[in-house]
Amino acid sequence: MSLRSAGRKSWAWLEERLGMSVVMEFLRHKQIPRNRHTAWMYTGSVMLLFFGLQVITGILLAFYYKPTLEAANKSVGEIMTKVPLGWIIRSVHSWSATFMIAAVFVHMLSLWMIKSYRPPRELTWMSGAVLLVFTLAFGFTGYLLPWDGLSLAATKVGTDIPSAIPVVGAWATKFLRGGDDVSGDTLSRFFTFHVCVLPLLALAFIGVHLYLIQKLGMSLPVGADEKEEAERALPFWPNFVYREAIVWSGLVGVLVTLAVFLPPSLGQAADLMAAAPEGITPEWYFLFLFQTLKIFPANMIFVTGELVAVLLIIIGAALLFFLPLIDTRPAEKKGKIITWAAPALVVYAVAMSVWSLTGAKAQPESVVPAAANIKESTAIYVFIGWMWLAIGVLFYLLRLKIKETDRLHDSRYFNPDKK
Amino acid sequence: MRLKHSLFTRRQFLDGLLGGWLAALLLSFLYPILKFIFRPTPEPDQVLLPLAEFAGMETGQLKKFAWGTKPGFLRKMTEGGFMALVGVCTHLDCNVAWLPDKNRFFCACHEGWYDANGVNIAGPPPKPLRRLAVSVEGENLVIKPEAAA
Repeated sequence: MSLRSAGRKSWAWLEERLGMSVVMEFLRHKQIPRNRHTAWMYTGSVMLLFFGLQVITGILLAFYYKPTLEAANKSVGEIMTKVPLGWIIRSVHSWSATFMIAAVFVHMLSLWMIKSYRPPRELTWMSGAVLLVFTLAFGFTGYLLPWDGLSLAATKVGTDIPSAIPVVGAWATKFLRGGDDVSGDTLSRFFTFHVCVLPLLALAFIGVHLYLIQKLGMSLPVGADEKEEAERALPFWPNFVYREAIVWSGLVGVLVTLAVFLPPSLGQAADLMAAAPEGITPEWYFLFLFQTLKIFPANMIFVTGELVAVLLIIIGAALLFFLPLIDTRPAEKKGKIITWAAPALVVYAVAMSVWSLTGAKAQPESVVPAAANIKESTAIYVFIGWMWLAIGVLFYLLRLKIKETDRLHDSRYFNPDKK
Repeated sequence: MRLKHSLFTRRQFLDGLLGGWLAALLLSFLYPILKFIFRPTPEPDQVLLPLAEFAGMETGQLKKFAWGTKPGFLRKMTEGGFMALVGVCTHLDCNVAWLPDKNRFFCACHEGWYDANGVNIAGPPPKPLRRLAVSVEGENLVIKPEAAA
């Protein structure tokens, strides 16, 4: 029996029991519209790519990370200086988090502007809004884990914000901190959220989100002619998959290159009694919220400024979540105010972020990782060179496959219903 | 399209090339990950023990010390000088106990026995306990792997 027939036989054996060809049939029938909004369709799978990278690098880091008051900072230091290539794994985890959050923002704002949340996709949007909260929570909990001065201050501020809310606020802060103050218990709790609670919740919601997308199909631009769009659309498998592969391999290349040349640093171990370091800032995706809290005065007429700011943020989040129920017009109607609210929000966030960065200082005395020796750094340059060579060749081959599959599609060769 | 004497079609060739490069790229990401997972944990080059703590031992008496992350036993010999053993059973890696009244090492995991010199005498252990080299240098006892001494 040849290798090929053996492979075919075991595939047939599995197929008889699992029936996976149903999935492949579905992907062959899945239509990706080809129009001026197609570029935004890539942002979804890009988030899955970064989520996958976070899972892999996160598991690797957890092999050596120790979530206790005494050992946390030291173990991250060991990952960066003693474990072979540990600094690159941490750097990829940190950069991939940044890329993931950027992709989430682009995904949300673009689908907002092209109005993909309109009926019948309300629940898709809402599950996505929940996933946005989870993504930010991943970032927030992960920021504490290295346990340096910056992460302690950020967590003190971040977990204090809910306490401004009347009635439930104090309880929420206590729940997040595992006590009245940020302590070793907060670290254990954040570690549990970061590696257990959030991944499980995120996976469940990603499942719901993806199911809804498959069930309802891709959205079309406002006022599009459905028949014309269906004529132009491409099947997800195989035509669109090759395009996705180009985006994925390019992004992985950029990510690894940035991770090697710009690794994150690590400050001295946090001291619960020390004053907050000067000029601290949170991660970039929280800067606009940070600055918003800063500009509110201590007292406004009857209540504290903090309460007003926190309430405004909660109202903003609620508006975002309920957007599909606010704008319930049928899919073909335009809605200029809501369309332009998205770029207005971007302008606000960028302005606030830039403002908050004026006067920010780097933390003194931090560990900045680098290749351990000449041999290691040479190997890294060779690796980067090889990686880009391989990605370049993949680009070329994938382009050939795109041309081939598109030609076959246009000549009606791939008729999914043809036997 | 397939030429008359060709073994495979253009598409098969292209697919193979694409799959091959993809596999090569993925494998080259696997290598650093494996390096990270299998972190080298070398045993100590040498362990220094203060001679004063061990000088008062009676002949045949044993004291424990730490050989890296493993237990070590230091035994005062009749002819003077010391013998050092790694207190880890050669059967399946359990730590052994010194039973002074029986003058033997005992491994509780699978009932392995060693005599006072660490030679396996009963039970499943296939080899004697590992010996370390001991030398006296000034104020210290220096313990090294046997080959390095």
